[in-house]
Parts: sequence; structure tokens; C-alpha cells
Amino acid sequence: MKVKAWLALLLAWSLAASAEPFIPKDDAEVVQRLPYRVDAAERASRVALARDPSQLPLAVSTARAALDRARIHGDPRELGAAQAALAPWWTQRDAPADVVLLRARLLQARHDFAAALTELRGLLARADLAVEARAQALLDAAAIHQLRADLPEARALCEQLRPLAALPATACLAELASLSGDAPAASQVLARLSQGRSISPWLALMRAELAERLGDEATAPALYRAALAGQDEVYTRAALADWLLSRGRAAEALALMERSADAEADALLLRRVIALRQLGRPTPLVDTLRKRLAAADRREPGRHAREQARFALDVEARPREALRLAQANWAFQREPADALLLLRAAVAAGRDGDATRLQLARFVLERGWQDARLVAIDGSLTS
Amino acid sequence: MIRLLIALLLCWATAAQAHQASEGYLVYRVEGADVEQRLDLALRDLDRDLGLDANGDGQLSWGEVRSRWSDIESLADRGLSFQADGAACALQRRAEPQLDEHSDGRHAVLISHWHCPAAVHELQIDYRVFATTDAGHRALARLVGAAGEPLVLMPGAGPQRLTLDGRGFGGFVVEGMAHIASGLDHVLFLVTLLLVAVWRREGAGWVPRASARSALAETLRLVTAFTVAHSITLGLAASGLIDPPTRWVESLIALTVLLAALDNLRPFVPGPRWSMVGLFGLVHGVGFAGPLKDLGLRGQELLLPLLGFNLGVELGQLAVVALLLPLALLLRDRAAYRRWIVPGGSSAVAMLALLWCVERSLDLSLLP
Repeated sequence: MKVKAWLALLLAWSLAASAEPFIPKDDAEVVQRLPYRVDAAERASRVALARDPSQLPLAVSTARAALDRARIHGDPRELGAAQAALAPWWTQRDAPADVVLLRARLLQARHDFAAALTELRGLLARADLAVEARAQALLDAAAIHQLRADLPEARALCEQLRPLAALPATACLAELASLSGDAPAASQVLARLSQGRSISPWLALMRAELAERLGDEATAPALYRAALAGQDEVYTRAALADWLLSRGRAAEALALMERSADAEADALLLRRVIALRQLGRPTPLVDTLRKRLAAADRREPGRHAREQARFALDVEARPREALRLAQANWAFQREPADALLLLRAAVAAGRDGDATRLQLARFVLERGWQDARLVAIDGSLTS
Repeated sequence: MIRLLIALLLCWATAAQAHQASEGYLVYRVEGADVEQRLDLALRDLDRDLGLDANGDGQLSWGEVRSRWSDIESLADRGLSFQADGAACALQRRAEPQLDEHSDGRHAVLISHWHCPAAVHELQIDYRVFATTDAGHRALARLVGAAGEPLVLMPGAGPQRLTLDGRGFGGFVVEGMAHIASGLDHVLFLVTLLLVAVWRREGAGWVPRASARSALAETLRLVTAFTVAHSITLGLAASGLIDPPTRWVESLIALTVLLAALDNLRPFVPGPRWSMVGLFGLVHGVGFAGPLKDLGLRGQELLLPLLGFNLGVELGQLAVVALLLPLALLLRDRAAYRRWIVPGGSSAVAMLALLWCVERSLDLSLLP
């Protein structure tokens, strides 16, 4: 019987084949690109630290450099490196202020906001805290409160910051004002801060985000590009990519991301996949991204709902799942980008999203949030 | 946002995170007293600790990696040890340097073969790789053939245990039966087929078969077609050779139930019925594969579980046939069977299948 023989062959073939490791044929073959290089000085200080892990200044500078790389390149591996450098003080409650600040940053970067705030509160309660460390702790705590939309708490902290560090305090209060019904005035305050000198990347980015919320089509991309030119960070590139993607300019967004040395970072990988999908180009990256999101969720369950929701909404086209994840994310972080994601998911989910839309509308109107992106989707969200 | 400001003071903001922290993969394969250990470590991590990028050009060539392979092996040896049931095992040989691709890039694959004093029941693993350089590093450890989630190893957290799963052939048979029993869509598909297996098609309608023997022969044809078809795709899917998205498969399974039910009401599918059942069986087979896919078995190892699981599925199927066929045989000439039972049953199945189709393809939840 021909058919039987064919079936037997098929079965045998299916049993024999599976993914196997491989041996590259050529020594010159590039087997791994490194997104950034660790220079000789950095390597030397690591060796020194490995020999004697108790050197506080070296440990702090090593951890800080690792946290910087984590931010710039969007690489969570560096968080582990930072924690390893701080290992001798990791569980010590009365650790030096610098260590506690870095510990709080790490916890925040791992989205453990409550633990980060506990660290910072403990630090602020110290009577003998140096001014720089106090300013830093105030600002860090304000940032966490802001991203959870606890605006009064954030404002109180930035008021305390004013006598210690005027510029960040002013910018902080302006940012909070922009989320409390005073966006145009806040925009002017931030613009005045950057007058005279060339604009610093952080301020350009802050103004770009505000311009986007105000629906300023010309200023927002220009400021994003200025920020990116000043400091090439994954976060900034992803923000500009999102701006392009939401205007259907997927090809530009894709080119912007593929130019980056950090194109493999999850934030950029997610947006590359979305861009490719908008362009109607099937890509195996979808599978890579799915695995990465699964790995992240396995490691820190529930903490990566923002990316998971975006993936479900913009890649997999599973609106109900996207809504569930966006709601989980909203319970956890509440920045304008989170509100936008929640609203998009709610609209996509049709009637299932109606209750969420109402809740979100109440939230936005109560606080006087102004966001042209929300209004464009749902006209009733005008403050 | 305020966190952007933080860069001003101590130069940090919690900007977007890439969400792949460092992971290693540890797989043990046990056969009697022989243990194969495979450890995959990311080249990026190895570069951080060992400085593999000799020429500093920001990329690793195979030559750069290969020439440092002994350093990579000794890093792994320092960081990983295991015992079998409390006893040390002897290293027999190591495989040559090789690489594999994971979601966060290429990994060095370190395979070693060990011989233990006696047949192995449990492994105690002490994992300390990268313990002093990356506190976020984790290894996912698993034993080939064991079900469930991998064991997450935290460097330096002390020895952890992997126990051999006692489940043998019988376990897979039970799992196959459970899979049929819990899968309403598969059962309804069978029920739908059996309802009219006691009839034969004549033009655009059905007439009862004269003899029980011809009804039994038809049932045998249908069950055989279904079995052969789903065995093929079950094998292909379980071995990972085909891997269509679950949502499509589930939607298609619902569609097969719908079409079969509609065909009961008014035959329209051309050709003998077993050919339709065979085609649809291909889809159901992919759906059966889920529980087997996660075991990580390959080649020969997949054979027994696959046979056991498939046998379980067949037994479950036969149970449905044994329950239903005698009834259908008895009733096949009755007016009630023709007027109520077949049209009513098929319509109900069709409605449910239609709902499933919509639900599964559009990712909605219409049913409670």
C-alpha cells in the first residue's frame, strides 16, 4: 500500500527531526553582536571589585555604571550586574545612602514600586542625610508616585525638593501641573527652562512628551529628535517610534529602530514587530518576542503587562486579552501612555470595553488630564 | 515624566526596560546510570565575565569563542555540579564546542556525559554560575521526559532537586484518555459522526442501513480514518515539526464539528464520509499534541509516549462508540430517531460549534 508507506515515512521523519545545536563552519563567522562594549577601564574595575567586593566607592560606581547601561541600552542584564556589585550591602538596612539609592533604583527598574518607595522613605527619615542624597531620594520617590498617578504625593515631594535643587524641582512641578489640567502653562515653563543654551536631552524629551499630549504635530517630533541626538537611549527611540507608528508611518519607524545598535532590546523589538505588521510583512520576530515576553512574565509575574497588552493588541489582534492585560497594567502604573493603551484596548474590545472606557473617562476628567491622543479616540475625553 | 529628570542628579531614569534578563538553560537526560548534562550559557554573559571579544570590535566571531572554549568550560565547571541520589558521578566525555539560538541571542552549548554509581532516581544540582557578576541570572532546569514547568535555579541558592518522573507508558495512556474525556469538541465530533453512521447517504438525504453489520463496517471505516489522520498530525505536532498557532487550530476544530453536524442535517460534503473524517482528523490531531509538546522529547524518546498517548485517545474514542453505537443501531429505523434525535442533536451541536468558531477565531467569550 503506497499510502501506508508514505505515512510510515512521514511518522519516522517527524520523530527524527528536531532543533539541534550547531557548529559554525568558519572561524571568521560572527556568532553574536554585542550591543555595547565594556571598555578596559570598566573591566579592570570589575576585576578589582571581584578581588575585594567590600570596596564601597568602587562598588557604587560599578553599580551606577551598570544601571546607566541598563537605562541607555534597555538591557535588564545590567540590573543583575548592579545588584551583584552591591551584594555586600544588599540586605543591610542601614547601608550607606548611595547604596540605598541605587537599591531603590534597581527595585523600581524591576517594577517593584512599593519596595522602592519603602527604601526611599527609610532614607528620607535619616536625620544626617546629605543634601545631594536627600534631593535624589525626593526626586526618585516623586517619580514613582507620578507613574502611579499619585499626583498630590508627588507634588509634596517636589515642593520639598525646591530649596535643594531648583531646576529639577521646577521641571517636576511643571510636569505634575501638566497632568492636573494646566498643560499649556506647564509647556511654557518647560520651554523657558531650555532658553538660551542648547536644549538638554532630558528636557527635550519631557517637552516632546508634553507636546505630543497637547497634539502639537510639529514640535513633538522635532523635540524627540533633539532628545535622541543629545542622548541615544532606547526609551527615546521607542517614544519617537510610537509617535511615527500612531501616524501610520511604519516604514520610517522601522528604519529608525533598525539603525539602533539596541534594535534587539525588547522595547524596540516590540515596536519593530508592530511596524512590520503595519507594513504587512510577516516576520519570525513575532515568535522571538512572544518567547521574550513569556520569559519576562515567568521571572516577574504580572510586571510586564504593558508590553504584553501592546503585543496582544497590536500584534496578535486579541482585543479581549489586550484589555485584560491593559487593565492589569493600569492597576499597577498610570502614566499617560498607560491610559492610551487602556483606552485603545477598551475600544478594540467593543462592548466588553465599555465599562473600562467610562472609568477611564471619569479618571481623566477628574484630574483634568489633557491628552490629544485620548481625545482623538474618544471625543468625550476632552478636559 | 519626572523620572526623566532624575538623569539630572545622579544620572538615572528607569526608562524602558528590555525584558530579557540573563537566562541559562540546563537540561538533563537520564538513561539508567548514565546522565547527559547540557548547559546553555549566553555568549553575551560569557563575554562580560571572560572578555571573549579579543579584538574589541563589538562582535564575537566563532574563532574568538572557540579559542576560549576551555575557559568557558572551566567557568561552567566552577559554577555547576550535580550529584545523583547523593553520590558523585564520573565525567566520561565532553561534546565538542557548539552553539544554539535562544530568544535573547546565541548561547554556548556545553554538553557532558557522566556515569553514576547506580541507576539515577534524583539529581541534586548546585548552581552558582555568574553568582558574583549577575545577581539577576537564572537557570531553567529540566529533565527530559518530565512534565511541568522547568525548575528555576537561582545562583548560590543551594542544591535543588530534580526527580525522575515515574510516569511510564501507562501514564501516557491515561493522559490520552483524559484528553478525550475533557475535550468536548472531540467527543461531539465523534457523536455527530455516529448519529448517522447507522444510515447511508442516498442522493440529498439519508436512509437507514439494512443490516447492523454494514453500520458496524461504516463505523469502523470512520474511526479508522479519524485515527490514522489524527495520528499523523499528532506525531508531527508533538515533535515540533509543524507548529500552527493554537487559535487557528482551535477555530478549525470547531469548524470541523460544525461542518459534520451540517452534513448530518443535509448531506453536502462530496465523496465517501470517511474521506471527510480523515481530512478533519488531521486538524484534531494537531489539537491533541499540546500535552506532549512540552516534554522536550526528541527522536526515539517520543515514540513510547506518543504511542501511549495515542492509545489512550483511541480507548477514549472506543468508549464513546461503545456507549452510543448500540443505541443508534436500535433506534435507526424509528421515526423519532429520524424526526427528532438526529436533526435535534445535530442542530444543537451545529449551534454550539458555530459559537465556538466565532469565539475562538475572534477571541471572544460568548459562552459562560
